[in-house]
Amino acid sequence: MSAVTVRAAARGAPARRAWKEGALGLALVLPPLMVLVFLIVLPAITAILDTLTPDPTVRGFTPALYTQLLASRIVRSDIVFTVVVTLVSVAVTFALSYPLALYLRFARGRLPAVLAVLFTIPLFVPVVIASFAMITFLVNHGVISTIFYRLGVQRFPPLVYNATGIVLTEVWASLPFAVLILGAGLQAIDGALIDGARDVGAGPLRTFGSIILPLNVTPTMIALTLLFINVFGSFTIPYLVGGNAPQMLGVTMTNYLTQYLRRSEAVTLAVMAFVISAVVGAVYVVSVSRRERGAV
Amino acid sequence: MSPTWYWSVGALRRAVGVGAFLALAAFILGPLLTLLLWACAGSWLFPSLLPEFSFKWWAYVLANADVTKAIRMSFASAPLATALSALICVPAAYAFARLRFPGRRALLLSFLSANAFPKIGLYVSIATLFYRLNLMDTFAGVVLIQMVNTLLFMIWIPTGTFRGINTNLEEAARDAGAGPLRTFFQITLPIALPGLIVAVLFAFLAAFDEAQGTLIVGTPNHITMPVMMYTLVLSYPQPVGAVFSVLLSLPSIAFLLLAQRYLRAGYLAAGYSL
Repeated sequence: MSAVTVRAAARGAPARRAWKEGALGLALVLPPLMVLVFLIVLPAITAILDTLTPDPTVRGFTPALYTQLLASRIVRSDIVFTVVVTLVSVAVTFALSYPLALYLRFARGRLPAVLAVLFTIPLFVPVVIASFAMITFLVNHGVISTIFYRLGVQRFPPLVYNATGIVLTEVWASLPFAVLILGAGLQAIDGALIDGARDVGAGPLRTFGSIILPLNVTPTMIALTLLFINVFGSFTIPYLVGGNAPQMLGVTMTNYLTQYLRRSEAVTLAVMAFVISAVVGAVYVVSVSRRERGAV
Repeated sequence: MSPTWYWSVGALRRAVGVGAFLALAAFILGPLLTLLLWACAGSWLFPSLLPEFSFKWWAYVLANADVTKAIRMSFASAPLATALSALICVPAAYAFARLRFPGRRALLLSFLSANAFPKIGLYVSIATLFYRLNLMDTFAGVVLIQMVNTLLFMIWIPTGTFRGINTNLEEAARDAGAGPLRTFFQITLPIALPGLIVAVLFAFLAAFDEAQGTLIVGTPNHITMPVMMYTLVLSYPQPVGAVFSVLLSLPSIAFLLLAQRYLRAGYLAAGYSL
């Protein structure tokens, strides 16, 4: 089509209607978009710019705040601690949720029906309550330690106010997300493909490795990335269930902001958290957009 | 191989299955049941298996002025955040589902950014912006921070719902002479209602249960129930926190029961697999 005909067509009624529809669409989308910009995009950009220009009288960017914070041994150990706790929590949650999702997809009967209700319960429990419940359950002289005591076990490692407590609570809180995401992906796999593989003699492991796993890559990526970001950016669980030192970054930056009243250090830590999880966040958005390709 | 071998493997598999089920049930329900027991405990001393039952802490919690203030703050802010979010997001969701406009896909995906940032870092960044705008420790600030978590639910679930409605029905109404607004309110909206209710439910729970951001933005004068929990957990006897936890769970339980018939597994997955 030449430019002339395009211009001629643009003068026609259908083009005008399309233009009106486009304008109406943008107008309807604008209000929530402005809230999104105000609450997410603007704070993120301001945070980055502010921390790179700590002294407004000096022109140009300087990484001074970052080098200063990273020079602190406590901050460095908090960063390492956060990454390790996050990776362990994600690994444990994933190791529990994939078999559970598979079981719920393929098993029939009363037990799976009960399980399907059971595993969603943590979704409806606020994280603050979950953390407190976990403390009462696991704390020294709590329920678990009472049961151990009755069984004659007197000494065992402490289960809360340390990394173990954080991991257990994070797993408790994120198990339903992981199972739901993986389960939705497994549900979408055509049962005929699996039956076909079985018919030509593939065992359960082979079927899993060459049919189920490859067809469930995108939901798996969504589950892993979302788990990582949620655990990495958590505050309540490490604040209530974690120990004094080392702490997770969420607790460290909140302390800088509200206890030590050192705002620029708090924001610098926030930007560091953004940078560490940027790749993971990008993979998350790409994966969701890939899964929703048909729908979006 | 003898048949006994098969039998023992079958029994072993069943035992492993039941064992795994019981372990999972204990892991998920154990903490919650412990909390419930604490909520009706007068005292619970090691190593008793059960507490000494009493409801004296309920009177203590309900008579506490800070607690009633927090309950009022929660029920003022969370419904407002949900309503504002619904007001601006539902029309946008309709546009995403039905209208063609430039950048539609990218804009819809941009709402995922709420999930793509580590939450606590985002709240700290929002706090520094709020300091400049004098929104710290204000009711408006609390409502705004609660809206962060509602946007994604209120955009994506209704968009999916509107998309799932057959356009033939709307076209038929238009052919019969109904205007666009009348068509929307009399045809589209009633069909979309279950999906919209689920979106509102998720958004309300996200706003109501928001603790980390509200702690940063609302302290010291705008304390909601989940923020109150931090203080109760850290500096009160165990039963106080437990009683308050039960109070804090009531809205979730009530909403679950109310919306039960809409909560098909599909919707649950739609809400949480974003």
